[in-house]
Amino acid sequence: MPLFEQIAEQMPIVFRSLNEGFLQTLKLFFVTLLGALPLGLLISFGSMSRFKPLKWLTRMFVGIIRGTPLMIQLLIFFYFPGLVLKQNIWGSGEAGRFAAASIAFIINYACYFSEIYRGGIQGIPVGQEEAGLVLGMKPGQIFFKVKLMQMVKRIVPPISNEIITLVKDTSLARIISLQEVIWAGQAFMKGSQGISGAIWPLFFTGVYYLVWNGVLSWGLGKLEKKLDYFR
Amino acid sequence: MAFLQVENIQKRFGNTQVLKDISFTMEKGEVLSMIGSSGSGKTTLLRCLNFLEKPDAGRILLGDQLLFDGAVAQTRKAAEIRKKRLHFGLVFQNFNLFPQYTALKNVMLAKELLAREQPDYKENKKQIHQRIEEEARHLLSQMGLSEKMNHYPHQLSGGQCQRVAIARALNLQPDILCFDEPTSALDPELTGEVLKVIRELADKNTTMIIVTHEMAFARDVASKVIFMDDGVICEMGTPEEVFVHPTQERTKQFLGNYAGSL
Amino acid sequence: MKKMMVMLLALVLALGMCTVYAEDASDKQYVLDKGVLVVGITDFAPMDYKDADGNWIGFDADLANAFGEYLGVKVEFVEIDWDNKILELDAKAVDCIWNGMTLTDAVKAAMETSNPYMNNAQVVVVAADKAADYQTVESLKDLTFAVEAGSAGEAEVNALGLANNPVLAQADALMEVAAGTSDAAVIDALMAAAMVGEGTSYENLTYTIGLNSEEYGVGFRKGSDLAAELNAFLVAKYEDGTLMQIAETYKVQAAVIPQVAAE
Repeated sequence: MPLFEQIAEQMPIVFRSLNEGFLQTLKLFFVTLLGALPLGLLISFGSMSRFKPLKWLTRMFVGIIRGTPLMIQLLIFFYFPGLVLKQNIWGSGEAGRFAAASIAFIINYACYFSEIYRGGIQGIPVGQEEAGLVLGMKPGQIFFKVKLMQMVKRIVPPISNEIITLVKDTSLARIISLQEVIWAGQAFMKGSQGISGAIWPLFFTGVYYLVWNGVLSWGLGKLEKKLDYFR
Repeated sequence: MAFLQVENIQKRFGNTQVLKDISFTMEKGEVLSMIGSSGSGKTTLLRCLNFLEKPDAGRILLGDQLLFDGAVAQTRKAAEIRKKRLHFGLVFQNFNLFPQYTALKNVMLAKELLAREQPDYKENKKQIHQRIEEEARHLLSQMGLSEKMNHYPHQLSGGQCQRVAIARALNLQPDILCFDEPTSALDPELTGEVLKVIRELADKNTTMIIVTHEMAFARDVASKVIFMDDGVICEMGTPEEVFVHPTQERTKQFLGNYAGSL
Repeated sequence: MKKMMVMLLALVLALGMCTVYAEDASDKQYVLDKGVLVVGITDFAPMDYKDADGNWIGFDADLANAFGEYLGVKVEFVEIDWDNKILELDAKAVDCIWNGMTLTDAVKAAMETSNPYMNNAQVVVVAADKAADYQTVESLKDLTFAVEAGSAGEAEVNALGLANNPVLAQADALMEVAAGTSDAAVIDALMAAAMVGEGTSYENLTYTIGLNSEEYGVGFRKGSDLAAELNAFLVAKYEDGTLMQIAETYKVQAAVIPQVAAE
């Protein structure tokens, strides 16, 4: 059978699988962002705390998470409870794998975000805080009304980079057999649903990433532009 | 009793005694100029009055109210200080405008936040905001900035920024308005417009403390001059006394550097 | 943050207590209590693969479903990374491995295995046009083999001292041969029959000699009482003909090992 005819015939099967896989990829992506963006802020406060032991502990934790591969963290998060504590806390099936992957990703990315936040907050001139103080503002008001927007402006470019990286990093979750889009594409290399030895589905997974990253870059670029109204 | 009494203020950074037993008084409506070389402690003294630095010892009284006493723990608490620092306004050398807000919003913001603490805020929200905006607009026009109200700080010149900052400080109606070298960050041709505004405030009997290197201005606008040197008040008196008949050798030496501009 | 640390510590302690409790209970009881048997599989026709609606079918899948019915629990299939199968069992992420698993010494040491239920062999796959040259074990010595890491095929190739590249899956080994990056592969005979030769995805490949014969079994957690339960089930299903009927559906009836009750 000519190659193109064969591919045309396989397409509906392959794309149904890839779509399903990409849905998992997107789910992991959004859950990670939703969890890691606020958690990162909390961690950044910890790492800037005036209470030394807390600052120390937080920075050590961030150092460990940033200094070790996400892949190891995924393996440990998923297998450690069942292997060492003899209790699989993640539940059975795909839902459990997704939960473990989400937690690992959220913690990992929160640590990266926390460092970006810290840079963003500490980069704001001390005069901004002092101006708020002499105008009688409370610490919370100074943070939310004065510093937050300036921090957001500073962190949008580095956070954008991390977000693009996150899209690609989601593929690491396949190490604990989360069936994301690359798993779905690779299945057709190994043999699945009557198709085997096909590498073109794997190429198409690349297209999914490209398109999604294109959409994100566009959106984040717009956001950056929107914040151009002040300097 | 004097309007402002500063008694025996001391402040140390690490091993450096920056302020050594500073005492002075000033009256309502008076303009006090503080001069002295860099590192003489005048900016630190101003920051102590605004509680950006906590003095190690000493007392600050305004009218009959004790604002700060190094020996009374109660007056050192952050929450206490927040209310008391509103007696003072401060205009910074680098303006420190909030870059994400327009000139108008910069002036209004603090007052809007303070208004939330009023008991009738919820019922009269709209009127309160309207009044705050009117006052802010009025102040900015007084500063000659009617055209610039909706500009962001980066769209304004340094002189315009500093005038917005003055309006921002004035809007909270402080008892004493402090200036920390208000023209030092400005190009010489922009200095004049800021000094003019300060002079107008002096004409309206605004009580002010001005730390400055503009000697001619300090002499002309002030009713009282303090020359600081190495953490102490070296000489204090009327402009005439300090600038024309200084008694201390150090003062003469310092003023000698400015012979051309005086 | 401090509070969080304390809570985390409390969680770990609480889990530790569960440990003591969990170790006493039987594995069968554990599965019955949660009401679901989680079966670890890979996409491996004709043993476990997806039908057009995305449901898992195949000889192993159908049998596993029947076993679930027999136990009175739901059956859930989870695709796993084959390298991690022992880890998955021990971590209780799955309850059994039921995927045409060769009963190697390593598997028997790490799992509680059922009686063998199917015969298999490891066969050599080469390009069809060169097949005539490689009909004896001696003829293989200059070839570089692609083998699945941790598979029975890898063990055979290593035992013969042949050069090899370990890859992630048996299908990857086939790809290597098709792409010419390896000279030959060693994979399961059942898989070779389904995937290599006339009318398959790899028309230019064929398989030649078998290196050994081996048997498939199902793996449970070490010490699990479910293995014995499955043995009894297999005997019953062999005796009433269900087992052969499923085997015929997937055309593997020739390989089935007759199941008889132990005396």
